[in-house]
Amino acid sequence: MELKNSNIKIKSKNLNVYYGNKQALHNINLEINNKEVTALIGPSGCGKSTFIRCINRMNDTIDICRVDGSIEIDGKEVNDKNVDVVTLREKIGMVFQKPNPFPKSIYDNIAYGPTIHGIGEKKDEMDKIVETSLKKAALWDEVKDRLNEPGTGLSGGQQQRLCIARALSVNPEVILMDEPCSALDPIATAKIEELIDDLKKSYTIVIVTHSMAQAVRVSQKTGFFHLGKIIEVDTTEKIFKNPANKMTQDYITGRFG
Amino acid sequence: MSDTGHTVKSYAEEMQSLNDDLIKMGSLTESQLADAMEAVIKLDKESVDKIVQNDSKINALRAAIDNQITTVLVKRAPMAVDLRITISTMKISHDLERIGDLAKSVAKKVTPLPIDLPDELVNSLRRLGDLVQKQLKDVLDAYLNNSKDKAIEIWRKDEQVDDLTNLAMNEVANYLQKDKKNLEMATHLLFVTKNIERAGDHITNIAESLYYLIEGEYLEGARPKGKPIDS
Repeated sequence: MELKNSNIKIKSKNLNVYYGNKQALHNINLEINNKEVTALIGPSGCGKSTFIRCINRMNDTIDICRVDGSIEIDGKEVNDKNVDVVTLREKIGMVFQKPNPFPKSIYDNIAYGPTIHGIGEKKDEMDKIVETSLKKAALWDEVKDRLNEPGTGLSGGQQQRLCIARALSVNPEVILMDEPCSALDPIATAKIEELIDDLKKSYTIVIVTHSMAQAVRVSQKTGFFHLGKIIEVDTTEKIFKNPANKMTQDYITGRFG
Repeated sequence: MSDTGHTVKSYAEEMQSLNDDLIKMGSLTESQLADAMEAVIKLDKESVDKIVQNDSKINALRAAIDNQITTVLVKRAPMAVDLRITISTMKISHDLERIGDLAKSVAKKVTPLPIDLPDELVNSLRRLGDLVQKQLKDVLDAYLNNSKDKAIEIWRKDEQVDDLTNLAMNEVANYLQKDKKNLEMATHLLFVTKNIERAGDHITNIAESLYYLIEGEYLEGARPKGKPIDS
């Protein structure tokens, strides 16, 4: 399998991130293909989460964080002063390690995003958005009869799919997943992975994971980060069968440190 | 091929044990093929039983390696070079086991052969047997030294094995033409020749597995083939 160079959705060029005096990312050059799953792997603190937080400018929320260099989505600079961060985040959904549903009903968890973005003002429109989003997240059948019950009452795996449904409700183009299965059991994990397989037909997905096996299963491209640098990016198959860089090999075969 | 760099010591030990068993198996197979060839060349019927019995040691090692590999796969989900070592060890051990089987078959054919076999037949078998034994020794050395260049060399040299096989087959055909009464003997000799050649093919497989283990890519191109000789 060759890397596709056309069809790039996200492209970072010489991206540097600093937390105060500490440099967290060094000259990251990475291309993420449209409608594909890109996995980012590397030891804790290597900068993979910092990188995905640059894509939707989540780092803006940290006062001491400074970003330079470029990150483009569809050729448009994300860090440009004119970019409206709310619109940007509508385009880029995010799912975190720990499911974090709002302390609201299942229905309102989904309706919240569209409401603040001014979508689905009519009840039947919103009903449709809620149903479609839950269906896309493969949760509808399990919750359709209890939409008014609290989202926090669902199981961990269901909560995570609720969070994915919530991200999907505002029609994003990109979904960022930061270790979405690390708090889930194998069955819930399998459901999320099945969902990722399905979602990649319509969305560009970037997933941070500590599970090599998961990276192999879900992604087409893998990037290995170490100490804030990107060490190797290639097709997932190449990275896990025959990586070019010794550091990558040492990491994925458990020979590190 | 050994490596002790794993953070988890027991993982390193498991990989080391696989390596050790494969080396042990290689060395047993090498002796087994040498013994079988010697029995044929010297028409030593006494040694046949022992050679047949020894085959079970090689089979037992293969079973042990298979078992260890299943454990490594389920426990470690090996990646990259570990994955390639695991897969290649499994393939190499199966090829060694087949070489052991073929050596056993060669030895078993010594029993029905007459002790006054013509020299030219014995000599052509000896030449073929020597080359195949050299190929086996070389491929096991290449494994020990992690040498992809040697692996390629051995892979290419199978052509010579094919050529010597054709020559030996020719000798047998000539022998048969001299007197049709030689038919039964000639049939046994053809089997012996073909079995030695098949052992050579398994050595070529080992060279391919070794190349994949080292390079992470498959040896490209069609296997070299010897020139057929018209009888």
